[in-house]
Amino acid sequence: MTSQTPEIFYKSLFDNMTDGLAYCQMIFDAQENPVDWIYIRVNKNFEKLTGLKNAEGKKVSKLIPGIGAANPELFEIYGQVSLTGKPKEFETYVKPLSRWFLVSVFSPQKNFFVALFQNITNRKQIEEKLEDAKIAARNVLEDLDIEKSRVEIAHAKEEAMLLSIGDGVIAMDEKGNITIINKTAEKLLEKKSEAIVGKKFFEVINMVDEKGVSIPLQKRPISMALAGTTTTTGPAYYYMRKDKTKFPVAIMVTPIILEEKIIGTIEVFRDITREKEIDRAKSEFVSLASHQLKTPPTAIKLLTERLLGGKTGTLTEKQKEYLNDIHSENQRSIELVNALLNVSRIEMGAFTIQLSEKNICTVVQSVLYELKSIIDKKQLRIEEIHQQKNILLLIDEPLFRMVLSNLVINAVNYTAEEGTIHIECKEVNKGEALGGKVLAENSFVVVVSDTGYGIPKNQQNKLFTKFFRADNAREKQPDGTGLGLYIVKSILDNSGGSVWFTSEENKGTTFYVVIPMTGMKAKIGKREHADI
Amino acid sequence: MAEDEKIKILIVEDEEVICKAYADELRDEGFAILIAKNGQVGLELALREKPDLILLDILMPIMDGLTMMDTLRQKDLYGKNVPIILLTNLSASEEKIMQAITKNEPAYYLVKSDWNLSAVMEKIKERLARKV
Repeated sequence: MTSQTPEIFYKSLFDNMTDGLAYCQMIFDAQENPVDWIYIRVNKNFEKLTGLKNAEGKKVSKLIPGIGAANPELFEIYGQVSLTGKPKEFETYVKPLSRWFLVSVFSPQKNFFVALFQNITNRKQIEEKLEDAKIAARNVLEDLDIEKSRVEIAHAKEEAMLLSIGDGVIAMDEKGNITIINKTAEKLLEKKSEAIVGKKFFEVINMVDEKGVSIPLQKRPISMALAGTTTTTGPAYYYMRKDKTKFPVAIMVTPIILEEKIIGTIEVFRDITREKEIDRAKSEFVSLASHQLKTPPTAIKLLTERLLGGKTGTLTEKQKEYLNDIHSENQRSIELVNALLNVSRIEMGAFTIQLSEKNICTVVQSVLYELKSIIDKKQLRIEEIHQQKNILLLIDEPLFRMVLSNLVINAVNYTAEEGTIHIECKEVNKGEALGGKVLAENSFVVVVSDTGYGIPKNQQNKLFTKFFRADNAREKQPDGTGLGLYIVKSILDNSGGSVWFTSEENKGTTFYVVIPMTGMKAKIGKREHADI
Repeated sequence: MAEDEKIKILIVEDEEVICKAYADELRDEGFAILIAKNGQVGLELALREKPDLILLDILMPIMDGLTMMDTLRQKDLYGKNVPIILLTNLSASEEKIMQAITKNEPAYYLVKSDWNLSAVMEKIKERLARKV
């Protein structure tokens, strides 16, 4: 740079600098308060950055109307700089122009100032957006925190519930890896949570059958849950303790399903050793008691037969009549004891189902004929409908008779005099509905309905329970045993059939007995008698 | 008929009245009767007196009927072949009884409470006839 060039240099710099520049004179009132300024010189970028045209020579109050009210701080700052000569830098938002500026101001001489400025509106907007985003993010984080603590509380509650529950609970992920095991399960299986959590359930917890043989993976209830079915087991499953002794368990497994995907399973199990023992003791007691109960009537029977046989001398007609009465009454008590023995045998899984082909209509008719006296006594009307006369079915006849006569006897006992009992025999195809259920296979069905007292709604779920008698049944017929329907269900359950009912109090009850068209299933009694 | 020419039947039964009924009926039918109140006495009597047929109860004190039958069948030729009718109020579906009967032919099983006295007599005569 030479000494000849400063004027040109400054002018060129002035016109080409990227910042806006304004050289102004400050105007003060009598009290030396800054009230306005005049633009003496502005550079090219001034117009571009502010949008103000032909500013030179104009007062700011004219150029930007309302500036005094909108940005009083500008007057304050520029006035101070013009008076004191102390430069200043600041950011400001000029409302009338809707722009942000970074302003650097200095005073070349008293009452004058030069403002160098940049338009920082974009930067400010970005900063604002950033700030908004920050606030939004902070809010989201806060929400997450709240949600997290909520989830944690819920989780803690669930865990506490799970851990303190009286049944054994084991939760698994979708691969069968243990995720949670509660205290009861730890205690029953004699395994520590830390030793088995994360490991495959199948591998660390062995399940065996009654004989102690391991149950294969695909037959364990957990496999069914992982395939999506909720399963409850009977008494044939056992878990092992540390010392290799086994204990029977009742298990319920449920798949955990999230958005139609199985994400794990929960197994709840209970040690049923005691229930089994009680059940067995009860069965043994009934069995032995039945046997002992049969001895006295057997003796009566034999001696009565001796008398009736005339081996002890000639009897009068009246003596014969009485002895015949004694003999038949005695026979009834033997039959009662036999029924009790049947229950006991059914419970111990010891009864045999022997099949032969029978004409069902004939069997039904003969059962009804047998019960004719009790039906007539109550003047009940019998409606008997056979869809076909000659249906042959593989059944165990004595067991089928027991089923049917129990149902008809119930209908007789729990229907008021002059009521109607309706018996219908028919074939029902797979997929057809019957009494609120859909049949799973082609079946032969016996429907026994009555116009009787019905079963109270709140007791219907207990109807097939052993020794259970509905309140109204107790009232109308005090001397029932509560064994009939239990026997019916046990026989059908064990022979591949099924039974259910619909009932409305004071209207009547309908029982549906269903046997597959392929017949009952044969079964060999396995368990030996308890008392020999 | 002289007492020692009669067909001898051993009744092994702990229930006195039941035993009396069978014994009286059989005597009326012309049989000679031996009576034992448990399996142990029954076994001794059977081996000593060699009855033609044994009516045998199952549930008895000291020695039950199935044990007596097992022991007798293994004792000697007589014990192996003497016809036995098991009399019991236990049911035939009990596996132990069925096994005992198959193992110990010629044995027959009947439920006391289900059989009339006259039907039991028929069965006894039928068994004795088969033996001869």
